[in-house]
Amino acid sequence: MIKIPAKVLIVDDEKDFVEMFSLRLTEQGEKVSTAHSGKEALKVLETVAIDVVILDIRMPGMDGIDTLKQIKALHPVVEVILLTGHGSTETAVEGMKLGAFDYLMKPADFEDIKIKLENARKRKDEQEERIRKAELRLLLRSSGDL
Amino acid sequence: MNKLDDDKIRLLLVDDEEGFRSTISKRLTKRGMKPVQASDGKECLDILEKEPMDVVILDVKMPGISGIDTLKAIKQTHKKIQVILLTGNVAITDGIEGIKAGAFDYLTKPVEIDHLVNKIKQAFEMIRLEKEKQKELEYRAKLEKKMIDTDRLVSLGTMSTGIAHEINNPLAIINESAGFMKYILGTPEMLKIPRRDALMMGIGKIEKSIKRAGRITHQLLGHVKKQESTLSETDIMPLLHETLGLLEKDIKDKQIKINWEIDKKKNIVWIDPYQMRQVLMNLLNNAVHALKENGSITLTTSESNDDIILEIKDNGIGIPKENLGKIFDPFFTTKSFDEGTGLGLFVVHKIVSSLNGKIDVTSKVGKGTCFQLRLPKYDKSNK
Ligand SMILES: Nc1ncnc2c1ncn2[C@@H]1O[C@H](COP(=O)(O)OP(=O)(O)OP(=O)(O)O)[C@@H](O)[C@H]1O
Ligand SMILES: [Mg+2]
Repeated sequence: MIKIPAKVLIVDDEKDFVEMFSLRLTEQGEKVSTAHSGKEALKVLETVAIDVVILDIRMPGMDGIDTLKQIKALHPVVEVILLTGHGSTETAVEGMKLGAFDYLMKPADFEDIKIKLENARKRKDEQEERIRKAELRLLLRSSGDL
Repeated sequence: MNKLDDDKIRLLLVDDEEGFRSTISKRLTKRGMKPVQASDGKECLDILEKEPMDVVILDVKMPGISGIDTLKAIKQTHKKIQVILLTGNVAITDGIEGIKAGAFDYLTKPVEIDHLVNKIKQAFEMIRLEKEKQKELEYRAKLEKKMIDTDRLVSLGTMSTGIAHEINNPLAIINESAGFMKYILGTPEMLKIPRRDALMMGIGKIEKSIKRAGRITHQLLGHVKKQESTLSETDIMPLLHETLGLLEKDIKDKQIKINWEIDKKKNIVWIDPYQMRQVLMNLLNNAVHALKENGSITLTTSESNDDIILEIKDNGIGIPKENLGKIFDPFFTTKSFDEGTGLGLFVVHKIVSSLNGKIDVTSKVGKGTCFQLRLPKYDKSNK
């Protein structure tokens, strides 16, 4: 089976973490972009097509939750997986309510990451498919009206 | 002090003049005090070695060891004994020297018997007061220690949470780096490099240690207070069942019996169920661990005016007295590192205090351990 690479954006102020994590995901065949702050992440999202954002909850400046809100407002189909230190499970749950796909605890098990990433990507594909179909229906209906 | 107590005073009379001794002794006996007798300082000290005494009546002028030296010897080894000195009429300086050396008081010969009896009673009263003072001091020291301990545990709790947060980030980097190296070593081009096994072994150890460190930070952070309070009206019964369910395998393996002494109506408490589950988990886990095969755990609830009281009692190995003061400390454990982190009870204590509850423990080595939890009752009126 040929793997279709997921387009992933990693957002964390821990540069070493971002570097190693992206190396690892790249080796797995994913297409990885990186950002070290919420602002930077939003900039990347404007120019690069992204399937899934992996987002650290605790960052200085615009924190993870604010970033999540912005992403969901501007790019509603992009899926977000939250990364958290153990203690902030509640924040993670709050994040899920705001539309995050799932969350991971640091240090995270790589197999876990892969599974969640895959599922997030799938959901995004389905979502897009649904939108396409809806648009098509709309198109057909409007052309039938003519 | 009444007459009845007088014969309880253990009295030793030391004088080299036999006639004087027996006269005084007779008169004291008439008044309900029966003194033991000694004829010199050496005999006096010998008796004290064998027999406990409260008050010693001591002649200053004696052949052999002098009265003052005897007094000093007594005060060195038997601090609680009170000594009344008997001095000759002209030797007031002896009396003063004696008081400096720790005598209770001195009387001049010839002795007025009622005077002596009064002095003895005063000396004994002094002993009683000192004993009480001592007891109070010990009690206060204990109380103070307990208070300090609570404070210390609270600040340790805050700090440990912070540290655990900070450690998780580098830990995640180590984790990704090790995982990356492992991945590289797994690629076809690397399969034939020399000593690949040694590298893989090293990475394996790193990964295992990351998991271990992760368990510690997880314990420390698992209970972090939520931003919005989720205190709610909670029945502890389902929580107990749920927690026992998680421990089902160990309970079955050891064939542990669970005794329920639960009062059905009395179990609604005002707590955060998520944190409470962790408290029960840690306590029950310890109990299971302390039990041998066929042991039992008894769960009891009762209530006081304000609290629901839950007891988790096991008949396992018990906790030695010298450990009882330490078990709530972070990282105190008697288990090997893969069996326990030593954080379980620390976290329990922290959660219970934050819920305005209390935890107490009683234990006997070889008999078992009982943890008693007091949790605020659910009360509609004050919510
Ligand atoms: N029910 C019990 N019976 C006997 N000893 C106990 C019991 N509960 C606690 N202890 C003693 O107290 C120590 C500290 O307990 P605590 O739960 O804090 O840590 P732990 O059980 O060693 O490790 P972990 O934090 O992983 O549970 C234990 O190592 C054990 O010696
Ligand atoms: Mg334990």
